[in-house]
Amino acid sequence: MPPVHRSVVYDWLRHDKKFPHVWCPGCGLGILLGSLLRALVESGLDKNQVVLVSGIGCSGRLPVYVDVGSVHTTHGRALTFATGIKLAKPELKVITVMGDGDATAIGGNHLIHAARRNLDITAIIVNNQTYGMTGGQYSPTTPLGAKATTAPYGHIEPSFDISALSATAGAAFVARSTVYHVTQLDQLLGQAIAKPGFGVVEVLSPCHTNFGRQNRLGSQVDMMKEFKRKGMRVERWRELPEGRRAESIPLGVLVDRDLPVFGQSYDRICDAASRRGEAGK
Amino acid sequence: MSGKAARPKPAQTGESKVSFFPAWCKRCGNCVAFCPRGALKRDQWGYPVLADPDRCTSCGLCEMLCPDFALSVGEAGPKPAGAGAPRGSRVAPTTSPERLAPEPNGGEEDGNG
Repeated sequence: MPPVHRSVVYDWLRHDKKFPHVWCPGCGLGILLGSLLRALVESGLDKNQVVLVSGIGCSGRLPVYVDVGSVHTTHGRALTFATGIKLAKPELKVITVMGDGDATAIGGNHLIHAARRNLDITAIIVNNQTYGMTGGQYSPTTPLGAKATTAPYGHIEPSFDISALSATAGAAFVARSTVYHVTQLDQLLGQAIAKPGFGVVEVLSPCHTNFGRQNRLGSQVDMMKEFKRKGMRVERWRELPEGRRAESIPLGVLVDRDLPVFGQSYDRICDAASRRGEAGK
Repeated sequence: MSGKAARPKPAQTGESKVSFFPAWCKRCGNCVAFCPRGALKRDQWGYPVLADPDRCTSCGLCEMLCPDFALSVGEAGPKPAGAGAPRGSRVAPTTSPERLAPEPNGGEEDGNG
């Protein structure tokens, strides 16, 4: 594939949708949308081969703007709908877009079991550390001590590490990036889409409207500069002494392993069962 | 390490290589804040302008960090789609300057408002 020009994203946006889109000025979801479209085009996929599935939340609006088959499903259930689509039409490339609350709280059960099952689905999890659409309530990824609408004196629970959770649950590919590291994000999304098996890409994104405002983190520019300051290639991060690792966020491919893919295993079982059935006639 | 020295020199054409689509712009300031060469500035309304075209290297970072697809770098930018365009046709932001009211603090975001 020759390199495509960035402006190809205008070919993949839905022309009958109202632009500018609904997200707050500076929201990372717009950057992710562009990145995902570039990754899809770079992968050489046709619009008719791709299905985007989303749950509820700000991230749920993302597939609405893309000119591919898309489903905006119920809260936390993007992966369940995606599982059905993939099993019914295995030739389609199914990609889910979920927020951190959508994926790890309401749909937490579905996330770990989709990872364990290792179905050929790409799950993009946008982590803004809060429930942005509903007004900034704490989510499972809100850091300990951070303020939220439902934690005005600071959050008293430790947070989930989405990437570590997905890796432990058995995902074949796990990567993390931020919307500031947009060229890396393009590459990681492309790798996750190409990988057979369950691929998780955790995308850190600023919610300056709710999380940033309540925690005095400044504008989205300040929050993205913080991503720039803290972000570190995972290869370098692993060389850090244990005590200094918490200061940085490891970015890049965290897990990439070949595991049995559910679709292929299912086809084998179907073949074996039909052979036995015919032999018994 | 001669990686940095080997980079191509910025094109000294003096022509604007960045197209802005104000109707889609929400004036978030990502492009201005993260331009590695400082070529972009905000105008009095808070919209980005290519203040120093000679410094622009057409790296495209502003386009990729724009959440609103409101600017494009290079010649292969968006082309307008005709009225009643069929499904799958190109979406293009209008270039007409449908600008919003000027921001009270001169376009500078304090982020805590």
